[in-house]
Parts: sequence; C-alpha cells; structure tokens
Amino acid sequence: MKCFSRYLPYLFRPPSTILSSSCHTEADIISTVEFNATGELLATGDKGGRVVVFQREQESKNQPHRRGEYNVYSTFQSHEPEFDYLKSLEIEEKINKIRWLPQQNAAYFLLSTNDKTVKLWKISERDKRPEGYNLKDEDGRIRDPTTITALRVPVLRPMDLMVEATARRIFANGHTYHINSISVNSDYETYMSTDDLRINLWNLEITNRSFNIVDIKPANMEDLTEVITAAEFHPSHCNTFVYSSSKGSVRLCDMRASALCDNHCKFFEEPEDPNNRSFFSEIISSISDVKFSHNGRYLMTRDYLTVKVWDLNMENKPLETYQVHDYLRSKLCSLYENDCIFDKFECVWNGSDSVIMTGSYNNFFRMFDRNTKRDVTLEASRENSKPRAILKPRKVCVGGKRRKDEISVDSLDFSKKILHTAWHPSENIIAVAATNNLYIFQDKVN
Amino acid sequence: MEYKVEAHRIMSISLGKIYNSRVQRGGIKLHKNLLVSLVLRSARQVYLSDYYGGVCVRSPHAGGVEWGEGDQMDSDGSRSTPDEHGGESALVSDDSVRIPEVSVNGPAAAVEGQDIEDLAPGSDYNCQQSPQEDVGSVKTEGSGSAETGGPGSGSEHCVSRSENSQQGSAEVTATCCTRKRGAERSASAGSPVKRPKATAVPALPPVGGEGEGPEDMDTGNVSSLITIFGSSFSGLLSKEGAQPATDSEDSDSGKICCEQMLPNLNPWSTAIVAF
Repeated sequence: MKCFSRYLPYLFRPPSTILSSSCHTEADIISTVEFNATGELLATGDKGGRVVVFQREQESKNQPHRRGEYNVYSTFQSHEPEFDYLKSLEIEEKINKIRWLPQQNAAYFLLSTNDKTVKLWKISERDKRPEGYNLKDEDGRIRDPTTITALRVPVLRPMDLMVEATARRIFANGHTYHINSISVNSDYETYMSTDDLRINLWNLEITNRSFNIVDIKPANMEDLTEVITAAEFHPSHCNTFVYSSSKGSVRLCDMRASALCDNHCKFFEEPEDPNNRSFFSEIISSISDVKFSHNGRYLMTRDYLTVKVWDLNMENKPLETYQVHDYLRSKLCSLYENDCIFDKFECVWNGSDSVIMTGSYNNFFRMFDRNTKRDVTLEASRENSKPRAILKPRKVCVGGKRRKDEISVDSLDFSKKILHTAWHPSENIIAVAATNNLYIFQDKVN
Repeated sequence: MEYKVEAHRIMSISLGKIYNSRVQRGGIKLHKNLLVSLVLRSARQVYLSDYYGGVCVRSPHAGGVEWGEGDQMDSDGSRSTPDEHGGESALVSDDSVRIPEVSVNGPAAAVEGQDIEDLAPGSDYNCQQSPQEDVGSVKTEGSGSAETGGPGSGSEHCVSRSENSQQGSAEVTATCCTRKRGAERSASAGSPVKRPKATAVPALPPVGGEGEGPEDMDTGNVSSLITIFGSSFSGLLSKEGAQPATDSEDSDSGKICCEQMLPNLNPWSTAIVAF
C-alpha cells in the first residue's frame, strides 16, 4: 500500500474564503470530481452549477522533485437554476455528475448534468489571434474604404493563453425525475443518462431525441418499491451496462437483446443478513454508486456501510465485502434523524484495479487493497497535514479504551463527509472533495 | 416495549421528513421519500403488530377519565359522554370500537394538530394489558434491532405518544412516558376481534383498508390524512397516480399529502402520566 503524502491543498475557492472555510456558502460545496482519461485534467462541479477544471503542469526538468501539480485551467458556469412553471418547482443547478469524453482533437469535451439537463461542453485554448485586417483596425472599428491604399494578409500573432468553454450540445427535456448518473459509452458516440425510474440513451450529436432503454416505472405508482440509483456502461463492451437499485441489487443488461432492456441478463444481489435486520435495513442496503473495474471484469457497489466487489460471472454473492464504517451500525437511528443515512457515497478503483477507495465522515476516506487485504483510513484536513507530509493513518475507536490518536465514534463530525473522490487513471494521485475543499494527494516519490 | 416507543418516534420523524421534503429546493426527491416511507411502514408494522398480538385491557371509562395530563385530560374527561363530539363518541362509546380505530389513527395521529385531542385518549390505547409497568427510559439509539414479533401478550408497557408543545413544529420528539392505569382499566379487555365493524380489523395488515377505519372518527382532516398513510407509501403516491398525464408525479405526492397535513401540524399534547 503506497503511503500517500505530498499534501497539496488546492482550495476550491479564492483565498478570501480560505480563512473561513467553516462558513462557506452552500454553492461552494463540491458535488462531483472526475479525472479525464489521461489524468491530465481534473474537473469538479459544485452546488452552484459551476465547473472548475484543473490541469496538470508538465513536469519540468528544473524541478524534477516536483511532480506535476494541478492548477486551475478553466472555470465556467455550467448550469443555472431554473424554474419549472408547470409544476411550480425549482430545478437545482447543482452539478450531479461530470464525465469526460475521450480526447479526439485539441479541444476537451465533457458532459455535465444537473437534475434535468445534460450539457456537452467544449473547452478549448486560444493562444493566437489574427492581426492586420484590411477592413477594420486593431480596435475593431471599420476603416473608411477610401483610406485603404494597400492590401495585406492578416497574420496570427501569439496572445495570452485564453481558455474558453462553450456549450456545444444541450440535452434537455429527457427526464421527468432527477438525473443521478451519466455514462459515456465506449463507442464514443452515445451516452446514457439515468434518473430514478428511467435510463435514456443519447447520441452525442443529437439533442432532440433520445431512446429509453430502461423503464421501471410501475403502471400504478402505488406499486413503486425501488428506484434506480446509478448506472454505468461497461468500459469496453459497448452493448453492456449495469444499473443499481435502491433495494441493493445490480442488474446487468445487454442492449442487443431488446430495445427496451427491462429484462436483465444478470442480477447481482446478496441476500440480507437476518441478524442485522432493523428499521433501516432498506436504507442502508440502497446502493449509492456502482463502478466497473478498468478491466471490465469486476463491479464495485457502495451502500451505506460497505463496499462490495462483484465478479461479473457470479451473481449470488459478492467476491469481496469491505466494511467502511461498521461502527455506525448502532447509530443508524440518529443518522436517520439528521439525514446522514441518506448520504450517497461514491467509490473508485485505482488504475490497476488493485485498490479501491471510498469516503466516510469526519473527512475520513478509506482505501482497501484487494491483494494484501490491508486497509487504511486517512483524513483530508488542513489542520493535520502539512505540504509534503505523509498522511498519517487514522483510526476510529469503537469502544472501550481510546488510545492516543484514536477518535471515538461519538466525536466524529458528521457534517464533514467525503462523498466524492477520484483516482488518476494510471498514477497514484487521488482527488478528494471535502465539502468545499478539494485535496489532491500523490504518493511518495522516491 | 421500548421498541414501540422507538417505532413511534421513528414514525414521527419520518412524517416530518416527508413534510419537509415538500419545501425543499429542487422538488421532491423520489428516492429519499421512498426510503422514508419504507421506514415509516416498518415502524408502523412494529407499532401495530404487538397491539393485536396481545390482549388489550381497558375499561369503559378509561379513555375519558384516566388520561390525566393537563387540560387535555380535563377536556377528555368532559368529553367522556358520547354525544359531545362525533369523534369522541366513536372513541368513548364502545371499548371494542375504540381500539381498532385507534390503531389506525396511531401513525396519523402522530402528525395531527388540534385533532390530537380527539384522538389522544383513543390512540393511547395502543398500550396494553397489565397497567402498572414502567417503561423506563427510552432508548432512542441502539434499538435498530427493534423488531416485530415482540413479546406478544407478554408486553405490558403502556406507551404513550410523544408530546410536543411547540406550535407549528413539524417534528415530534418522542419522550418516554409511562402510564398509570387504574384498576378498573385493567378489568375489561376490549378485544378487537369483537369489533363489529370489519373495516378496522383489516387494518391490521399494514396495507389495506385502513382508510375506512377513520370514517368512524368523523374528524375531517384526519380521515383524509389517514387515507394517505393508511396505505403507507402507496397512499402518498396515489395522488401521483391520479395525475399521470401531467407527468408531475414526484412533485404532487408530497404537495398534496402535506397540504392536508399542514392544518393538522399543530402540536398535540399527549397524555403522559409519570408512573
């Protein structure tokens, strides 16, 4: 297990708010984090509808000990609050998910979505501008044609780098319920968007039409028992996708089988342990995130207390189950009261699928090494970490005597939760979103 | 009987969450409301299961007389005559009539406001059997394993509902309460089985004709609310289903249900008699 160090505090908001990080505005809360396919770019979305893209600096020969750091590359307002006049409902501008498209030219493309609308953004650089127009002068004023005595060819001159983001496609009016996931297909032509009851398949070029591929809305809404919580395309099989439900099950579907994939090909569910039955069993079994492994052979699901790794060929039980914060099992009632039990934690694989990571409370996040079966709890906080210091493993003391440096369960801060994390696709660099702060950690450089 | 207190508290909290979801920005969240309704349903099952599992002991005038708690008790006492209110008459007149109605109204009563006074005597009849038991302190945590299939007829504690004296508060905080039962109360057992009206008995299974129970109560807002919660989440969504054309399912359910809840969300003062 690598030791994560080199704490680089990339604070999400300009310095004026650093001093009062506890008084951040709600709009600054980070709601999604995503590396692009090469790891060069890191995008974050927040509750205020903004997207901030970080770019990794190229490693310089002058400072070889400093691996590429991430600096702000582009900031733009992706979604605005809207009002649905028909239903008298406000549509939140919070960015629920960002997914990068693979890079095909000099520009970068990403999909960002709020509750109702998906947008395709193009992020491009401009570092040259034409000069020497004939009909207008440098300020843009039209020249009097009678004063033109000679013609010249405009030339491109360098200018300060400008990064601009433009919305290239807006995929609207596809969903009645709140969109919770988007996933780009490996064919790079289509993507799917998922709400509570339906999954739609879109072509990236076409905005006025989408195809419904999953619909679990019952004919009589009184019979509603489960909703879709997340969905993802297989990383290499463009016909395969999975979706998870609030009942703790995952269904794998093949789009070749039929146009409407209501019938699954595989059904992954672990029978509930009757010993752990409680009022809140249904809530804690609801899956909050599902991710394919990079090699496409495994699935990872996150419910409230555990992370499970499934083999695609074994449906009746998971391959591995990891307890994230089992000490909360006895506190479910108070977590229900303060709404923490509804928190949707995400989970990520590392590039080689050997380590999985997920967040917890008190700004803790956990990593599990699947090979060595070791796990570690780390904390993302400014107070405890200095730059280039190694992150110290933390421990939660469950009962009995509390050792030094341990934290007791009752002193955990449940308002500090790490829901969103991301792992660089090939290196050991992780991005952890703690409320309104973004932390980027790298492993030790020898 | 701690689990019954716990169940009741969880029901109150769940109803409060459903109400609050209506005023949340961004509209009703279907997933969260579904989960809350599942919890509500489980809690209600626990709350009601043991009621019919055991033998309920009560006296004819217990409801009007014994529930001494402040003004409510006095008013209850004064309402012990059947003819004063439509609701109370149904409550007080007949033991066996009272019990099943009460069980139906229990969860809904948790949300009621001024109607609570009508219901309090009856709803407190979820208590059972031998009177002089001390519930002790409520464990609000760590009772996640509170479950149906409880003591059954062995359960003796009288659990009253929580008391909330703050006006307009949507949440009800559960407090532990014990009830002192008079000897006369323990004398008669109003078995719900004897109840002539069949509507309330099917109320025992969590889903089903509970909506008919409150018709006896004739308490206006109560019945509409109970109709919703009588069929648990399906009741909530029945309003949704009624308007499929507008495709506004996820917004209407909370709205309609909570519009009916709103006038009833004044706190009720329940009978809490320290043992």
